[in-house]
Amino acid sequence: MATVECRDIRKVYGALEVMRDFNLKVDDHEFVVFLGPSGCGKSTMLRMIAGLEEITGGDLMIGGQRMNDRDPGDRGIAMVFQNYALYPHMSVRENITFGLERSGVPKAEIDRRLAPVVESLGLGIYLSRKPTELSGGQQQRVAIARAMIKTPEVFLFDEPLSNLDAKLRGSLRVEIARLHRSLKTTSIYVTHDQLEAMTLADRIVLMKDGRIEQMGTPEEIYQTPATLFAAGFIGTPNMNFLPMEASDGMLVSETIRIPTSRSIRAGRVTVGVRPGAFRLSAHPGAFKGRVERNEFHGETRLATIRSGSHEINVALPASTVVAEGEVVDLDVSAEDLHLFEPQTGERIVL
Amino acid sequence: MRRGRSLPYVFLGPTLGILVVLALVPTIYAINISLQNRTLSQPMADYVWFANYVALFSDARFLNALWVSFKWEILSVTATMVTGLALGIAMFEAASPRMRNILCVLFIIPVLLPRVCAAFVWKFSFHPLYGALTWPVREITGSTPDILSTPLGALLAVAFVDVWQWGLFFAVIILKLLESLPPQPLEAARIDHATRFEVHRFVTLPMLKAPLISLLLVKAIESLRSFDLVYVMTRGGPGISTETLDMYAYSQGFIEAGKISYASSMAVIMMVLTIVTFTFTWKRLNR
Repeated sequence: MATVECRDIRKVYGALEVMRDFNLKVDDHEFVVFLGPSGCGKSTMLRMIAGLEEITGGDLMIGGQRMNDRDPGDRGIAMVFQNYALYPHMSVRENITFGLERSGVPKAEIDRRLAPVVESLGLGIYLSRKPTELSGGQQQRVAIARAMIKTPEVFLFDEPLSNLDAKLRGSLRVEIARLHRSLKTTSIYVTHDQLEAMTLADRIVLMKDGRIEQMGTPEEIYQTPATLFAAGFIGTPNMNFLPMEASDGMLVSETIRIPTSRSIRAGRVTVGVRPGAFRLSAHPGAFKGRVERNEFHGETRLATIRSGSHEINVALPASTVVAEGEVVDLDVSAEDLHLFEPQTGERIVL
Repeated sequence: MRRGRSLPYVFLGPTLGILVVLALVPTIYAINISLQNRTLSQPMADYVWFANYVALFSDARFLNALWVSFKWEILSVTATMVTGLALGIAMFEAASPRMRNILCVLFIIPVLLPRVCAAFVWKFSFHPLYGALTWPVREITGSTPDILSTPLGALLAVAFVDVWQWGLFFAVIILKLLESLPPQPLEAARIDHATRFEVHRFVTLPMLKAPLISLLLVKAIESLRSFDLVYVMTRGGPGISTETLDMYAYSQGFIEAGKISYASSMAVIMMVLTIVTFTFTWKRLNR
């Protein structure tokens, strides 16, 4: 068990600086998810922690020791890759035990440790098969077993579920969560899938362009996104952003008027509203709009409503009956608004 | 449906036809001649059936040639593969992409040289009085080392030239094979506490088993045809110490005796040995 600490980590490729001043402390037992769009540097950061990528500047500490110059095998980590990265010529058993054999663990000890790992991942019947004879989900299970058997200080996951189909992704995600609960190993998990991040993470590190955009529990990031980017990245369907004008207790645009009791500095403001925050209203509410599109999503119904120049996504209960072309009254309460500075994209704290 | 079935024969037909004319006819002709007592000096010949073959196995020089061919095969194939692997892995581990490109071009040049040219170039380099390679020894010790005149030296020198041409070329191929591998299993192995050597020993080389076996067989076949190299550098000498089977067959058939039937029987034996060995090796290695 160990903490992972990144102090002012910097990464440069040639003349291109991809990461600067990356500071993060992952506590013992914590499950941290690096979330961000592709190219944000989350995988690079993970690979630097693993030792597969050179660290240009700063210090990487695992368990209180500086790891910058240690070999990947000496960092006390284990990693699960997106494309499984199994050794294709070895059997499942050899794949799992390879790391222990290389570390010089005696054979009897390997056998003793193999049994529970194989048991917990349900790999017993596949032990003598080659990876190519297994499905993607089974291959990733083998990769997880290979990581688990080493009883590492830190688990690293590099988009482990991205190559799997949706159903398998769900079940393996639950399995990873279960394993983390029982093993309690410090884990860092990279993904671009917000659902994985929200369900697995103790803490999400939201990244953009090699920087940490926001850090916090899934609830914090969802309920109080710190920036426009964070607000737009987290949550499906996406948050609506409405350019509005604030003036004495009122947020106003050409067609929308939302009263707010909170005092907002007068001027331009970007208002974020999650689709689920809108309500259909029987009498004139915040604004009127015409239903342009009406999609049935099973549990909910996603309507696109045009009001003046705004195009707003609204999530309604599936039982709601609205027709395309119909004009409806919508309302939203002031507590559900997220206000952002239009220039900087920063959240306006009230 | 019928057209679909006959189409492959349309494509294969001409190729097979040409192969039959070019390969099968001379082979059958050689087998036929090997059963006669034809010589270059006389137009007449009778069938002596297996007399040539019987004679061969009491011919010490033939048995020597068989042994030399075997040694040559093992030595040149092993040395080429080891050199190719060592240089290929060294480039993969240590050279920058730019450096790799430069080295690859340099390493391909020798194999582009016709083997006769390569043989002449190196023969001059090994020359005791004028050779570039023997120069330092001459300068330091004052002696004139004649590498090609000792049995072991001659064999090693010829093998050296062979490796210079093919080992370097194989290094380029092996480097390209290594580059074509997915990087993740290699990274996983490094996380699994494998040293750089162990990554290759346990992961990359086993992953490349099939192409490496193909390379090995290509070189084995190529080594059987190194007549020109041996002919230019040593003519089978000193004595008969580097006289391979094809070298001996050639000298029996065309240089010393003109015993074309005797030479043909050697060629047939070589063919049979080759087919048997390669079939066996191929099946065994591909298991």
